[in-house]
Amino acid sequence: MRTLLITLMLSLPIAVFAEEAGMVYIDGGDWELPIVREDTGQSGRVEDFLLDVHQVTNAAFLDFVRANPEWRRDQAPGIFRDAGYLSHWPSAEGLGEGNAAPDRPVTRVSWYAARAYCREIGGRLPSMTEWEYASERQRQALEIAPQDYASQLFSWYANPGAGDLRPVASGPADGLGIHDLHGLVLEWVEDFQLILGRGDDIDLLTGSCGDTARFLPEFDEAHYATFLRFQSRSNYQPVTTTSTLGFRCAYDPE
Amino acid sequence: MKTAFIALATGALLAVSAFAENPHAGHDAHANHTPMTAEAITHEHSLFHLDADWQTQDGRSIRLDQLAGKPTLITMIYGSCTTACPVLVNDARRIDRALPDAIRKNLQVVVVSFDPARDTPERMADYGADYDVDAERWHFLHGAPADIRTLAAMLGVRYRDNGDGTFDHSNLLTLLDPEGRVAERSEGLARPVDPIVKALERLHETPRAEAVASD
Repeated sequence: MRTLLITLMLSLPIAVFAEEAGMVYIDGGDWELPIVREDTGQSGRVEDFLLDVHQVTNAAFLDFVRANPEWRRDQAPGIFRDAGYLSHWPSAEGLGEGNAAPDRPVTRVSWYAARAYCREIGGRLPSMTEWEYASERQRQALEIAPQDYASQLFSWYANPGAGDLRPVASGPADGLGIHDLHGLVLEWVEDFQLILGRGDDIDLLTGSCGDTARFLPEFDEAHYATFLRFQSRSNYQPVTTTSTLGFRCAYDPE
Repeated sequence: MKTAFIALATGALLAVSAFAENPHAGHDAHANHTPMTAEAITHEHSLFHLDADWQTQDGRSIRLDQLAGKPTLITMIYGSCTTACPVLVNDARRIDRALPDAIRKNLQVVVVSFDPARDTPERMADYGADYDVDAERWHFLHGAPADIRTLAAMLGVRYRDNGDGTFDHSNLLTLLDPEGRVAERSEGLARPVDPIVKALERLHETPRAEAVASD
């Protein structure tokens, strides 16, 4: 914990600069996903990266669509998105009220579309490990007890509020300075298809519920709350668009 | 579509049983890698929408839509793979060699590496030379990591860098029709060549003018 604090202080000037640009600088470290994927006897390494402070909004995505008409909902090739792509917008290049308002997180975007957006602005989707690492660092910075983290997540899952989403970054940017990692909409990650139990020929995409429990190193509520997020990712196809799934971009440090 | 599903399911089943024959497979994480079941995909749209530049084994730049007009057999591997990948490339070669000359001369074979850091075009040239195949029709491609990930998603190939020089991945051969749509898939290793050979014969007999316009 002390090491973490020192690292945080050292990276503060960069962090301040990054936040003005709408990103947070997250310093890396040795870390393992909370879901057991393999037993290699080595800890995983997360390199430093930058993450958007808030989720991509309808307004920002509209700018992207205008500049790249091949991503309009009436022009995007079917191989890159399902029929629901941007279907909550009143028109192909028009925003509206409620979940289609400019300040709401963009939803009903496929993985292909999210990646194209991030690439256009010089970024990429975060890897699953990066996203989970940010989530865990945020929880530590806020000193949220695992039990409370679990309660908050269960309460959100039970009532995701997708019918009437809040604007992005409604509250203060707390913890690492990242808004809405939990509680607004779920987010695409680059390698969402890769949940795998290595060493056994099973994974979350093909395994039964009995198999899935084998991925949990501990059976407490926090691990189960995190596990539900992994399980929802495993239900997506790259063309999937839903009202509860948006994204934010990550960037490599210069 | 139902046929495709049955073929897939059968392929997966056989892949699992082939896997089960080796009691050590999958339990030694460092010596072996785990086959990942391929994703279901849609077959109605063209992969030629992928806007990406690839490099061939002789250093030429190529885009997938340049493959239009002829059928293409495509698979994804990594060069330092000593277990599944050589079998997969050999499976493509078995299909190629099983074809009548008139069909074979129109078939393009594409082998894409998902290990661009190690599998440079030079290394892919060496890799391809080992297989003694027609370099005019066989393309061993090097690409950017993001494009490789996109292509894999379009094909339904899952892969993961294990960080130790090995990759977990799906074992999949995909036949694209001349418009770039998925015509046939074969999942697993050392599978019979018939389904893809027969699909190629059907494509050969279908006059192009009658082919449905690609989305």
